[in-house]
Amino acid sequence: MSEAYKIDHQLQLINAIKANDQIALKKFYMSNYFKIEALVLKNSGSIEHAKDLYQESFITVWKNLKTKKFEPKNETALQGYLYQIAKNKWMDVLRSNNFKKTNTLTNETLAFLKEEVNDEPIEENQDKLKRTMNAFKNLGQPCKQLLTNFYYEKKSLRVIASELQLEEASVRNKKYRCMEKLRNIVLSSKS
Amino acid sequence: MKTNSNISQEQLEAIERYVNSTMSTEELKAFETQLENDSDFKIQVNDIITLLTGIETQSLREQLDEFHKEIPKQVPQKKSPKIQYLQFRKLVAAAVIVIALGSFWFFNQNPTDRLYSKYFTPDPGLPTTMSNTSNFEFYDAMVNYKRGEYEIAIKKWEILKIKAPNNDTLNYFLGVAHLANKNEINAIPFLEKSIQSNEFPLINDAYFYLGLAHLKENHIGFAKDNFKNSTLESSKALLSELED
Repeated sequence: MSEAYKIDHQLQLINAIKANDQIALKKFYMSNYFKIEALVLKNSGSIEHAKDLYQESFITVWKNLKTKKFEPKNETALQGYLYQIAKNKWMDVLRSNNFKKTNTLTNETLAFLKEEVNDEPIEENQDKLKRTMNAFKNLGQPCKQLLTNFYYEKKSLRVIASELQLEEASVRNKKYRCMEKLRNIVLSSKS
Repeated sequence: MKTNSNISQEQLEAIERYVNSTMSTEELKAFETQLENDSDFKIQVNDIITLLTGIETQSLREQLDEFHKEIPKQVPQKKSPKIQYLQFRKLVAAAVIVIALGSFWFFNQNPTDRLYSKYFTPDPGLPTTMSNTSNFEFYDAMVNYKRGEYEIAIKKWEILKIKAPNNDTLNYFLGVAHLANKNEINAIPFLEKSIQSNEFPLINDAYFYLGLAHLKENHIGFAKDNFKNSTLESSKALLSELED
């Protein structure tokens, strides 16, 4: 009974992360940071490197959960996966010439680099996605807010409409126009 | 390439249904057939999916920065490449860090820790009368909470929370259970959620415990803000000690 209970709880947490539940995301973010920070600090990196690496890795894990590229059975598996992704990404950073130019690798780090690497998940459409993210970052506030409410926070049009004190139909239309606006910025930013 | 062509509101919403798996069987079948046979349509769909992914990813990224502000700062450790060749320098550096951390703890943590333990007692919980069957799970967890089995209580309440993410009573008890379980970082987001509504009957307690959680985390500013919002006597007393 208690075992079934536990499994149920674990799946709920993973589903909550997939559904962008703020509390679940925050809990998972807060409880895993220091492990990654320790990894980076031990291997020639700074606190700033740790933050960037952690956030990149966190986003990758979240994305792979959503696309079902990774389907963990429990939270421990998810934590292990996050650590592995961070480790692989950090190895890539250490190997890059850019990093070597400005930082000295200690013997400890050189030994770390000889460890085996699991397959780095290949991220497709990276360029287009980056352009979209950049366009969205700089999108005007009303549109940005509306699209965040709807697509990220998963609020219904009805809820958003009542918050903005508007008709649901006009929010629906606004959302569409905001998407067109974003889409046009992305298309015109094509290099 | 037809990617520049406009997309209608209906098309956009169809793609949303496809992504969220809320299409009817017939609609999905027709949609997938078109995906297979119409390469322009496929490009358009992938385009929109990338847009949706971009919006969510950027939103998450901005939220992570917010989360990160609450990660407690640690004393940065200075590293010099020479240290590893000189054992005694390594020892000196280690000693400096120990002293720095020690004095950081002594000067910063100590007074707030003292205040925290002076004022913190776990919330006594709600009376567990088993008459209301619809709330059985909630009170079942309350029994665990009162026995001091905080982790079990938290697990049970978290399951309820998936169904009612914005229930203030639930968020409040999840918060105080985390706090009683000496896990202030986890307590903060729950308590913050519980104070969203002014109607919440335990709001003064919620502000008080949220203040305590911040105090334990050494966020003095946030702690004061929350104590100010609570009408509890202990909150006022604590505030005046903090102001001294």
